[in-house]
Amino acid sequence: MHDELLALADRLAARGEQDGGPCPDAVNPAMIRNWTQALGDPRDWDDVAPPAMIQVWSMPGLVEQKGGSVAEEPLRLLDAHGYTGVVATNCEQTYDRYVKVGERLSSRMRFGGVTGPKKTAMGEGYFVTWYQSWYDEAGERVAEMLFRVLKFQPRKRTGGNVPSKGGKYPLRPAVGPDTRFFWDGVDAGELRVQKCGACGALRHPPGPMCPKCHATERGYVVAGGRGTVHSYVVHHHPPVPGRTPPFVVAVVELEEGVRIVGNVIGCPPEDVRVGMPVRLTFERMDDELTLPQWTPADTPEPEPAPAEQAPPADLEIELTPTFVIATALATRDFTPVHHDTALARAQGTRDIFVNILTTMGVVQRAALDAVPGATLETIAVRLGVPAYAGDTLRLHTDRVDGRTLRVRGAVSLGDHVTATVTFREDA
Amino acid sequence: MTLSGRAAIVGIGATEFSKESGRSELQLAAEACLAAVRDAGLTPADVDGLVTFTADASSEIAVQRELGVPALRFFSRVDYGGGAACGTVAHAAMAVATGQADVVVCYRAFNERSGHRFGQANKSGGSGSSAMEFSWHLPYGFATPAAWVAMQARRYMHEYGATSEDFGRVAVAMRRHAATNPKAWFHGRPITLEEHQASRWIVDPLHLLDCCQESDGGVALVVTGVERARDLPHPPAVISAAAQGTGPDQMMMFSYYGGDIATLPAMGTVGETLWRQSGLTPADVQTAVLYDHFTPFVLIQLEELGFCGRGEAKEYVRDGGIEIDGRLPVNPHGGQLGEAYIHGMNGVAEAVRQIRGTAANQVADVANVLVTAGTGVPTSGLVLSGRG
Repeated sequence: MHDELLALADRLAARGEQDGGPCPDAVNPAMIRNWTQALGDPRDWDDVAPPAMIQVWSMPGLVEQKGGSVAEEPLRLLDAHGYTGVVATNCEQTYDRYVKVGERLSSRMRFGGVTGPKKTAMGEGYFVTWYQSWYDEAGERVAEMLFRVLKFQPRKRTGGNVPSKGGKYPLRPAVGPDTRFFWDGVDAGELRVQKCGACGALRHPPGPMCPKCHATERGYVVAGGRGTVHSYVVHHHPPVPGRTPPFVVAVVELEEGVRIVGNVIGCPPEDVRVGMPVRLTFERMDDELTLPQWTPADTPEPEPAPAEQAPPADLEIELTPTFVIATALATRDFTPVHHDTALARAQGTRDIFVNILTTMGVVQRAALDAVPGATLETIAVRLGVPAYAGDTLRLHTDRVDGRTLRVRGAVSLGDHVTATVTFREDA
Repeated sequence: MTLSGRAAIVGIGATEFSKESGRSELQLAAEACLAAVRDAGLTPADVDGLVTFTADASSEIAVQRELGVPALRFFSRVDYGGGAACGTVAHAAMAVATGQADVVVCYRAFNERSGHRFGQANKSGGSGSSAMEFSWHLPYGFATPAAWVAMQARRYMHEYGATSEDFGRVAVAMRRHAATNPKAWFHGRPITLEEHQASRWIVDPLHLLDCCQESDGGVALVVTGVERARDLPHPPAVISAAAQGTGPDQMMMFSYYGGDIATLPAMGTVGETLWRQSGLTPADVQTAVLYDHFTPFVLIQLEELGFCGRGEAKEYVRDGGIEIDGRLPVNPHGGQLGEAYIHGMNGVAEAVRQIRGTAANQVADVANVLVTAGTGVPTSGLVLSGRG
């Protein structure tokens, strides 16, 4: 398949640009206003269009797309060979000039190339790249866009304990006055075991009165984090929200003598045994919840993760359903995952999410907040986790030098977008 | 003074057992109660007490209204899921023995298959202390009764060398019994040990065929004093003993923290009370109805109740030991694995039929029947007898 794919890619690349035909509408104030209102862009664009709108002009609208993308054949070939997953990874736009109201644009596409196979976090895959360019009536190019997707073989899970990504982890502990110290400890990277303030008895799960001496004063010790599997199960069925079966749940007996329930992660379920030595690890389930977990004692300690410093947000956008839907439609993107919640969920996503054309617009907005008078020359975006309705997109902009900005946009799941923007300050 | 010999079950009633009843849980409750009252040769006007499960959706007063019962003098509920089953009869018997009520109906009715299914993943643990209990477990995806039981089953296997096939022998026995019980969902559908072994994993070490079915239906029981019972049409199933019990460091289904998790101390408590109160021993019962939501706990119950020693149940169930012609026929109706899952109440009704001599798979010369309720939870049990 590999050779066939590369040969196909060479053939397609050799074809050069394919005519995409004229854009449906001239550059017009109504679509610009619709777009700026949906994105919350406060600028008055007067007689030019926002540069990040460039792809909007060639979007077909709510009609059957005519003809396939230039990348259709390699994508189909990859599908047929098990590379069924797809995720957009890069979108880079270069603006030769801003387009003006009244201009009639046309677009062309050309195939870029294929690289791979590469091992990625999603699984093994190939990167497929293609380009779209926009031209004015005189045949001069006004903008170009690189678009890259990863076509991957969805990874077969072996240890299967990874909670499904896609939002807030659904299985949350209730925390009360008698148990708060434990969860505070987890947040501080400690496994705390209640210790009676009078007789010193250790106890887990904790409670308000010592069952041995009936004292109510209590403290805790920090467990050493070593234990053995006292018993365990491998969950296969029925589905559990936030979980991908099979996964292991174990009763772990700590060296301190108390028992605790947790998942055994970091090894295939079939490797788990009663009596197996395990050590404590912490698993971050989402922005707010971390769980104490267990991993085979002979697996190496993980490198301490660099402290994740969330940079202060320069721009915060509440991703209300209205924002997600209004921006999708204002960018003429009628793909249902951006406006139809039920359909989005049926396709396995948590909710509707922000489309890429809007992400480009949001990056433009953040960039121009940092350099208000500048003219943007390129926006190169690396795409991360989805920005779902109900989340908040926090954008932070750093000025790298006199013509470059870095824009990072994060949602609760992590980075949604990291972008490099180049600009020139007009005299 | 004990409760022994003071009250009897004199009426049993049930709806059909199905996967989709097509009617409300209240209607199922009312139909089962009415059937039980009529079976007892009484009318709703005779009823002055109602007891159900805390988990039941139909309140005592709702059932009272449907039956047209003029007034209740006694009503109570028993908590902890299926652990309540024999507890409802215990409460009714105490009310009757102390004169608080004369005729008490115990009921349980639900659409457990077509409505809320207990086997699906729990997402929260309620409120108060229960929420705290669940919070040590649910966040780890440890969210189903099968998983909670499997945790103890694995340790039991580890301690005593029991195997999945030993669990399978329980399933085979229950399905054999159900196959000849026309009321059973699995009537005419026995299974082999090979089929048990080949069934898919639910929560390893439990296969699908280790798990009871999910059912819609209702069962009701009428309890009255032994004197009045003598005037009623059926031979009374005299309550020789009725007990509730918990173990040390008891939790709802997570009693993993204190002692030996290859045991069921709550059932040990119940068994100890039952034998003491009735003056009987395991050798005195001809058949037992043991709560069988999941097969491994049938084995552990045999040990807790004294039918065999610790770790010996795997031998006890070999060679058809708990089948209808074995040393102790267990669940001649097919249990919850074979007949229906009505939270243990259909098992109490079967015990009454065995005493009356009217069961589909009747055991010969039944004088005493042991019945247990939900395991892994705070539980209850009964010894019913034909004497009196």
